[in-house]
Amino acid sequence: MTVKIHLHKTHRRHTEGKEIVETKGDTVGACLADLVRRFPAIEKGLFDDKGKLRNNVEVYVNMESAYPDELAKAVKDGDKIHLTLILTGG
Amino acid sequence: MLTPNERKRYDRQMMIDGFGEKGQERLKQAKVLVAGTGGLGSPVSFYLAAAGIGTLRVIDCDVVELSNLNRQILHWTPDIGRKKVDSAEKKLRKLNPDIAIEAVCKTITIDNVFELSAGFDLIVDAMDNLPARFLLNRAAIARGIPFFHGAVSGLEGRVLTIIPGESACLRCLYRGPVRQEKFPVVGVTPAVVGGIQAAEVIKFIVKTGRLLTNRLLVFDGLNLEFTEFKLRKNSACDHCGEPRP
Repeated sequence: MTVKIHLHKTHRRHTEGKEIVETKGDTVGACLADLVRRFPAIEKGLFDDKGKLRNNVEVYVNMESAYPDELAKAVKDGDKIHLTLILTGG
Repeated sequence: MLTPNERKRYDRQMMIDGFGEKGQERLKQAKVLVAGTGGLGSPVSFYLAAAGIGTLRVIDCDVVELSNLNRQILHWTPDIGRKKVDSAEKKLRKLNPDIAIEAVCKTITIDNVFELSAGFDLIVDAMDNLPARFLLNRAAIARGIPFFHGAVSGLEGRVLTIIPGESACLRCLYRGPVRQEKFPVVGVTPAVVGGIQAAEVIKFIVKTGRLLTNRLLVFDGLNLEFTEFKLRKNSACDHCGEPRP
């Protein structure tokens, strides 16, 4: 089961510049865990010290918001996960 | 009723399908609140004034600084040290002397947000921090008026239009506070995002086209891509959700 994760540009510094990473997993959480296994430095950008998804990270599955309970959201082969960041600047 | 001068000024936009004189009359009657006269507020208020919004209230509490001038196009070098709203009002009046411009130099707070938005048809979010954006979001929902959100960082931006009771609001995806940091930005980013916000406002008032409701538009200036993400109204949202029994 392959799920592509599309990374926000601020996270790409941890993935050797890769914009898209293919991961394995049947939930968003499992796919992100696979991503972190391969690129451990990305963990701090996605999760806080308690392992909770950071408040400024948004998750979309197949272009739709995965909110709430993003990490428990089921995914299947061929799905796409997009990670974006909330912007505050004006 | 449009004056002969207004017919001439707005001739090109009245030619657009769905606009016409009726659409221009709607713009003339409209009362729009633009919160912020910085990077986003500059292009938003500029294009709304140019389009002939009848009453434009601009709110900002800051003074112009040299470091603002790479992006806040309503403020120029001689304006450094002036109140931003005074600087903005001066330019907007020169651009369009036929409209009413109200410059309000205040910090938006929970105590004044309802008063500041009283009597206005819609609110444009051109702020630079999430707490103020949420205050405006809540006020717009309480008043049942649309809220036009825009935000930027670097070469990236996002736009969302909120129609209370119908579409997802700014708070619907809220998971907790986000740390406020000094953000990078180049002027073209708020130019793009603010231009889209102004377009949404104009479309809403004229009653034409399809709005960015339940659709978060993300602009990636680095790759020059626009991406759209589908949102859903959150029934448990603490701003627009169903009241708990």
